Amino acid sequence: MSDFVLETQGLTKRYGEVVAVDDLTMRVRRGEVYGFLGPNGAGKTTTLRMLLGLVRPTAGRATVLGARPGSPPALRRTGALVEAPGLYPSLSGRDNLRALAMHAGAPSQRVQLVLEQVGLADRAGDRFGTYSQGMKQRLGVAAALLKDPELLVLDEPTTGLDPAGMAEMRDFIRTLGREGRTVLLSSHLMAEVEQICDRVGVLSNGTLIREGTVEELRGGDHSLWVHAEPLQRAAQLLEALPEVEAVAAANGGLRVTTTPQAAPAINRALVHAGVAVSELRQERASLEEVFLQLTRQPKEEA
Amino acid sequence: MSRSVAAELLVARKRASTWILLGIWITLGMLFAYLSPYLTYRNGAEGQAPTPLTPMLPESLTKNLLGGFPFFGGVIALMLGVLAVGSEYGWNTLKTLLTQRAGRLWMFAAKLVALAVVLLPFVAAMFAAGAVASFAIARAEGAAVAWPSAWDLLRAVGAGWLVLAAWAALGVLLAVLSRGTALAVGIGVLYTFVVEGLFSALASQVSQLDGLVEYFIRANAYSLVIALGVPTGSLTDNGPGSFFGPAVGGGQALAVLTAYTAAFLLVAALVLRRRDVT
Repeated sequence: MSDFVLETQGLTKRYGEVVAVDDLTMRVRRGEVYGFLGPNGAGKTTTLRMLLGLVRPTAGRATVLGARPGSPPALRRTGALVEAPGLYPSLSGRDNLRALAMHAGAPSQRVQLVLEQVGLADRAGDRFGTYSQGMKQRLGVAAALLKDPELLVLDEPTTGLDPAGMAEMRDFIRTLGREGRTVLLSSHLMAEVEQICDRVGVLSNGTLIREGTVEELRGGDHSLWVHAEPLQRAAQLLEALPEVEAVAAANGGLRVTTTPQAAPAINRALVHAGVAVSELRQERASLEEVFLQLTRQPKEEA
Repeated sequence: MSRSVAAELLVARKRASTWILLGIWITLGMLFAYLSPYLTYRNGAEGQAPTPLTPMLPESLTKNLLGGFPFFGGVIALMLGVLAVGSEYGWNTLKTLLTQRAGRLWMFAAKLVALAVVLLPFVAAMFAAGAVASFAIARAEGAAVAWPSAWDLLRAVGAGWLVLAAWAALGVLLAVLSRGTALAVGIGVLYTFVVEGLFSALASQVSQLDGLVEYFIRANAYSLVIALGVPTGSLTDNGPGSFFGPAVGGGQALAVLTAYTAAFLLVAALVLRRRDVT
């Protein structure tokens, strides 16, 4: 059995002159929660659609659970929520799931189970068309879970949810990951990806520009943020220290590029020189900063 | 396959449009086949030829009702076909269906089988309502109650179903091609009224058009019901659904309608299989 649930090699999709996905090669390991990160229009949804067999690639190849995307062996073990949930407005939540369970060959008992899992059992008899956006989203996730899938493909699953609902959904996805399912989560919400995902792939203009764990993406560069009085004197002292690579003014204090281990020595040097240190804390680039830097670069270069 | 068909039948049963179209179809049928002629029969104006009672009696059940299938039934079936498939695009449910278990063609086949099953009650309900109406008229007028033979009824149900199926198949094709409902209904109705309707009306005056019109769904659908005993004279005063000929033989009509149904569905299946679902 392959370690990879999902693999693509040079996957490309063109719509006329527009290249939606360009030569994408990626692998998702069994049991991991993989975050697919990218700005709107980066090609995330097109990629997911290709992996589900909804859209045919122009070039390249992909395998999902060892089978061709969209083929019955792949679909049988894959649950998906792509963009807004597509369900029948005139049917109740329960009837929608019943119909899908029949199509999917899933046991009818799964319907009640997934309704309870997403917290919709009480409203299951209401028509889907009367649901709030958040409830629709949760029913979409329930539909994706009907087959008790090995692989879950979730495209922006927290869209339309209020903050409490988003937190709930994040916990839920984390639980799904802990159950041993592989989750491919597409999102442009950094906090979501940072909190949930084991590994992240950053897509920009149809190209995978970075891949790794959240830690790897945030990189090894560390800095300290120091607030001290007098600030100018502090800056002069810090620039003279061998542990310090650079000093720059930031947010009313100083950003000091150095190693985390240097913090006590820096503090000591400032205090011994009579500088009053009111705050000294470690700083690392957030995933959002890394993401913005990564996704802005191509445009600036262009 | 059977579970997918059951799923599609559940969706069709719960869809309001199915019931609305059924209601319109039965209401139209009863209005034009029984209520209107009966009121004319009862209150016929002096100097006009009396409206005959026989077409409204149980013995004429199949002949009286089948005349409404080629046009009025056709438009209803066309809409049913469009809605059965086109709504899947509008509601974004197509992507959900196609990410379940089966392949595209498998899912499409299940949908078509369900649509074929749904057409049966449309035919059966019309004949059932007609039976009630004709029985009531016979009783009210003190006429004898004699029903068509089971074979005649079976043939009428089969012919009615095939006529509706051909139009529904056109609706399915238009829905797949236009990826929705609005344009498909528009083009379908335009084709029914303008292309087939106007050309058929013109053909009664320009005999050179006969060769073309003979291959229209409308001409073959009318020819099929005429072969089952619907009097041609009763079809010339049907408003937009009037038929002046040319009629072809029953066998040819059966073959052409079957070919149309198969061709529409085959093209729809090929397009659905090849095209991206965005």
